[in-house]
Amino acid sequence: MKVILYDVGPEYKDMIERRCDRAFAADGRFAPCQGCFGCWTKHPAECFMKDSLHRVCRLIGEADELVIVTKNLYGGCSAEVKNVLDRSIGTSTPLSVYRGGQMHHTLRYGKHELWKVIVYGDVTEAERETFRLLARRNAINDGYRRAEVVFLADLAELEGQL
Amino acid sequence: MKTVFINCSPKKRFCASAYFLFLQRLFIGGEHVTETLRTPADHERILRQLEGAQAVVFALPLYVDAVPSHVLRFLQVMETRCRETGLRVYCIANNGFIEGRQNEPLMQIFENFCARAGLFWGGGVGIGGGVMLNVTRIVFLVQVAQLALISALSAVRSGVVFPRDAWISFGENTALLLFFNLGVLYYLARMGRKIAKGAFSSKKYTRILIPSFVFILFADVFFFIVSLFQGGLFRGWLSRKRYEDENAQ
Repeated sequence: MKVILYDVGPEYKDMIERRCDRAFAADGRFAPCQGCFGCWTKHPAECFMKDSLHRVCRLIGEADELVIVTKNLYGGCSAEVKNVLDRSIGTSTPLSVYRGGQMHHTLRYGKHELWKVIVYGDVTEAERETFRLLARRNAINDGYRRAEVVFLADLAELEGQL
Repeated sequence: MKTVFINCSPKKRFCASAYFLFLQRLFIGGEHVTETLRTPADHERILRQLEGAQAVVFALPLYVDAVPSHVLRFLQVMETRCRETGLRVYCIANNGFIEGRQNEPLMQIFENFCARAGLFWGGGVGIGGGVMLNVTRIVFLVQVAQLALISALSAVRSGVVFPRDAWISFGENTALLLFFNLGVLYYLARMGRKIAKGAFSSKKYTRILIPSFVFILFADVFFFIVSLFQGGLFRGWLSRKRYEDENAQ
């Protein structure tokens, strides 16, 4: 299943939905993670906050291919997209293993195929490097076989990259 | 010199970030102000404190390999309000894994933020095993209480205020806890000196000083026990949960 998580405006909604099995708009109308670990220890793969991110980790967990469309913010995802990712740690379990030579959590949904990040907005060279490192780290952490980062000069290029 | 310490943990109590800020404050003189950043309602208050400050130290947990979203929102506001004010920015990041180096992307994001805002990037300390290090302070406080109780009982029963065995045991346990924290203490002391001098501290990574396989074993047992008491163990603790479930309810 291909899932697209995006922070671009509603004018892109139809086009994005045609390009995937499921799409999720990071519109910022949700609360940040409270760090309680309840999605591991109390009600697995479910957040105690009953907003639109209540069970978003299940959606992300089921993705074979996750495409993240985000505006650059200091070499990382926008606050809106990051909010969704922060609330998605239920894709893993509280137990730990070694993966990529370091400690990580075991995967609730097993291995995935592609973690792709499509970045738009002004990006410096240092921020590009951070994005590449972050994508590699995210892919290892979340059990993706491949990580890819694409930088758009213009949002008009978005459809061709999805 | 005024230093503003910002505890960015979303947790209200017993957060590791507060512990590391407590340790960092021990190594910095001058005026101190400690703030907590949890919601946008905290932004204005913190920004007012930053107006007269020379240095700011962020203490935050690593979320999904990077900066938590509520901190990103603050940085966006700070970029505008504190632009080119000469403020020096330092960072103490901690994660639940054992390797402090897993904080590297977070450090780079702070460095990139400083470049965007025209602020001085002072460097930071990335800490692995933050939660367990935080537990060491709780264990220490329990030990102090235990020693006080034993001493009081000993004084009442036999008139001995300092029971030797209890104090030796307390000393040994405290030394062990101190050992676990040695890497953190060293690098926070080092960064404290740099902050006091207004100098660059570079990025340093450290961790709780125990073997990683022991750490993983403890972490697994910890989560097993917590999940047992909170009930998650009986609600499909490790199983796949389907997204469609939400639509069915």
